[in-house]
Amino acid sequence: MKTGARRVSGNGKRSAAARAVAILMGTVLLAAAAGCSAAGAPRATGAARNLAARDGAHTTTHRTTSGKARAKAPPACDPTAASLRPPPGTPRITPSSWMATIRQRGHLIAGVSASTYGFGYFNPINGQYQGFDIDMIKAVATAIFGTADGHIEYKSITDDQRQGEITSGSVDIVAETMTINCKRLKVMDFSSVYFDANTRVLVLKNSTATGLASLGGQKVCATKGSTSAGIISSYPVTPRLKLVAVPQFTDCLVLLQQGQIAAISTDDAILAGLKAQDPFTKIVGPPFDPQPYGLAISQQHPDFVQFVNAVLAQERADGGWAHSYATWVGTPVPAPPPAHYAD
Amino acid sequence: MASTGTVATAAGAGSGRGVPAAKAASRRFRLDLSKTPGRLRLLLGILVLLSLAWGALAAFTVNQYSSAASNLVAVREPLSLDARQIYHDLSDANDTAATAFLAGGLEPTTTRQRYLTDIQAAGTLIETASAQGGATLGGASKDLATLSTDLPIYTGEVEMARADNRQGFPLGAAYLREASSLMNLTLLPAADDMYAAENASLTATSAQATGLPFVIATIAVGLGIVIAVAWVSRWLRRRTHRVLNAGLLLAGAVAVIALAWLAFAYSGARGDLLTAQSRGSAPAEALAKADITALQAHADESITLIDNGGDQNGADEKAYQREKSALGPGPGTLLTAAETAATGSQASGGATAAVRDAQAWYAAHVNLRKLDNNANHTAAVGSALGSGPGSGPGDARTAYTNLSGDFVTGIAAGQATFAVNASAGADAFAGLEPGVIAAALVMAVGCAWGLSRRLAEYR
Repeated sequence: MKTGARRVSGNGKRSAAARAVAILMGTVLLAAAAGCSAAGAPRATGAARNLAARDGAHTTTHRTTSGKARAKAPPACDPTAASLRPPPGTPRITPSSWMATIRQRGHLIAGVSASTYGFGYFNPINGQYQGFDIDMIKAVATAIFGTADGHIEYKSITDDQRQGEITSGSVDIVAETMTINCKRLKVMDFSSVYFDANTRVLVLKNSTATGLASLGGQKVCATKGSTSAGIISSYPVTPRLKLVAVPQFTDCLVLLQQGQIAAISTDDAILAGLKAQDPFTKIVGPPFDPQPYGLAISQQHPDFVQFVNAVLAQERADGGWAHSYATWVGTPVPAPPPAHYAD
Repeated sequence: MASTGTVATAAGAGSGRGVPAAKAASRRFRLDLSKTPGRLRLLLGILVLLSLAWGALAAFTVNQYSSAASNLVAVREPLSLDARQIYHDLSDANDTAATAFLAGGLEPTTTRQRYLTDIQAAGTLIETASAQGGATLGGASKDLATLSTDLPIYTGEVEMARADNRQGFPLGAAYLREASSLMNLTLLPAADDMYAAENASLTATSAQATGLPFVIATIAVGLGIVIAVAWVSRWLRRRTHRVLNAGLLLAGAVAVIALAWLAFAYSGARGDLLTAQSRGSAPAEALAKADITALQAHADESITLIDNGGDQNGADEKAYQREKSALGPGPGTLLTAAETAATGSQASGGATAAVRDAQAWYAAHVNLRKLDNNANHTAAVGSALGSGPGSGPGDARTAYTNLSGDFVTGIAAGQATFAVNASAGADAFAGLEPGVIAAALVMAVGCAWGLSRRLAEYR
C-alpha cells in the first residue's frame, strides 16, 4: 500500500514525513541564506514547527527512525505498528512542545462520542462523560496538568466528524472507538493501539440471523463515516446488504427497536454497549475484521503523538489500563494490546 | 274637483254599467299603454317588483356582511387562535422536553409539568379542531390528520427517552433526537400550515365582511327606486294635478331611511372591522410569527447544550443563528415587522419590549456559548435552565422568559383589540336584515296603494 511507510521520507509525494523534511530543509536553506540562524539549529514553521522545536535528541531520533523504517518497511501498511516511539521514561513536557501549548491554554480539547455506552458517553444521571475512551483522555490530561479535573473540554462529535475535527485542528485528540487504518493514516496520526475490537453483529433476541452472511438483502445499520459502514456496504453476500447510515450508534438501536432495520454491525466493543441498553438483543456471528483502536492526533503534532504513547505505555504498565477495562468492558481482563511502533 | 271629472270622463268612455264582469276584469288587466290607466298599471307593477327585488337584494347583502362579521368573531378568529396555540404548545413542549434533558439527573418537576400541560393543551385543541370538521377547516384537514396521528408517536418517543435516561443510558438522547426531529420535520410544519390556512380564511372572511360590491349594488338599486318613485310622483302630478301622493311619499321616505341605515351600518362595521384587523389581528399575527421563531431558536439553544461541548460550529448553533437573523430587529425581520404592525395599537408596548428583550437574550446566548465553549458546560446549562451555577440576572433563561412574556402580552392586547372592534362591527348589522325586509314591504305596499288609488279614479 502507498501509505505503508508513511513516516518514510522517500515514499512518495503524500508522505507527511517527506513534507516535514522538505519544509525543514527549505527552512534551513532560507535561514542559511538569511544568515540569521546558527547552523544545524533550524527554526522551522508549519508542519515541522513542533518537531523542530523539540529538543534535538528527539528530532534526531525521529529522523533516524524514519530512515531506518525506510530500510526495513514492509511494502504493506501495518496499522498496528504505525505510531511514533516515545522517548523512554515517563511522559515529559518539553518547552514549546504542543503539550506545553495545551498546558498554557488550561484545558485539553478532546473529541469524543456522547453516545457510545461503555466507551464514551454522556451520563445523563451525573452529567459526566464516562467510558473507556474517556479514561484514556483523562490519563493524557493528568499527564499534562497533574489532574484531569477541570482540564478537559469534551467536544461531542459524530463518527463522521472525527477526521475533520483532527485535520482542522479544532480538537487536540480524538478518543472515539476509532480504528487505525491505512486510509486514515494518510491524513492523521494515531497513538499506539489501546484497544482491540472485532466486527460483529447485533440483532433482536428472536432473530435467526447468524451473521452478516445470513442477512443478504436486509437493512443493516452503522454510523456514517465509520469503518463498519464500509464493511457493510462491501460485504460479499447476495443480495447485497442495504446499509442504513445514521449519525450515532444509539440511532441504530432506536431503528432496531422500532423494527426498521434487521441488524447493527460494528465493533464488538460498541455492540456490547448497545446490548447493555437493550437486553432484548444479542450479539451473533464470529468475530471478523479486527479493528485496532487508536487515539487520533493531528499530523502537525508528532511530539504529542509520542507523549500520548508514553502515557499509554504507562497505563499498560501501572494497571491503569486493566482498571479501565475491568470498569467499562468487564472481567476477565486480557493483556493490553502490545505497543508496536513504526521503527 | 274639476280635473278629476275630466279625467274620469276620458277614461270612462268605454266603461258603463251592465258590461259583463269578465269583460270588465279583462279590460282592467289589459295593458293599453297608450292610455293613462295602462301606464299606471305598468308603473305600479314595476315599482312593486323593484321594491320587493330590492328588499331581497338588501336582505341578502346584509346577511352576507353580518354573517361574515359574526363568522369572523365567532369562528375564524378563534380557529386561527387555536391553530397558533397548537403550534405554540407543541413547540414549547419540544423545547421543554429538551430542557428537561439538559438538567442532567432527575428532571425538575416544573419542567415535566410544563411539558405535560403543553401536550394536553395541544391535544385538546387538536381534538376540538377535528370535531369542527372539514367544513370549517378546508385545506387544513390534512394537517389536522397529521397532528392527530403523529402526536402520540412523539409523546411515545419522549417517554422512551425518559425511561432510558433514568437508567443512565445514552439511548435516551437518541430517542429525544428522534422525537425532536419528528416534531420539527412533521408536527410543527403541519401546525404551521394549519395556522397559515386559518389565517388565510380569516383574511378572506374579513375581506368578505368589508367588501364593497354588494353594498354598492344595493345602494345603487335603492337610489334607483327613490329616483323612480320621484319620477312617477312628478308624472302623476302632471297627469292628475295632485300635488301629493301619500303612498309614493311613504315609499320614497322609507327607501331613503333604509338606505341611510344600511350605509351607516355598513360604514360603521367596515371601520370597526378594518380597525380590528389593523390594530388587532395584524399586530397579533406579526407578534405570533416572531414568537414562533423565538421558540424555535430557544429550542435550538437547548439542543446545542444537549449535544454538548463546544457546539460553536454545530448545526444547532447554525440553526439558532439563522432564527436570530430572521427575528431581528432590522429591516425585513419579524420583530421589526411586528413593531411596525403594532405601532399605535394596544400591542405596541409588547412589541417594543420584545425588541429590547430579544437583544438581551442574544447577549445572554453569547455568554452561554462562551461558557460552553470554554469547558464550562455546567455554567452554560445553569444559564439555560435559570438554576444552579451560571444562573442569575441576565442568564439565558431569564432573558428568554422576558421575551416570551412580551409576546404573550402583545398578542393578548392585539386579540383584545380585535375582539372588541370585530364584535362592534358585527353588532352594527343588528336588526338591519328584518329592517330592510320590512322597508321593502312598506315600499311595495306604499307604491301599490298610492298608484291604485289613482287607478281607482279611472273606474
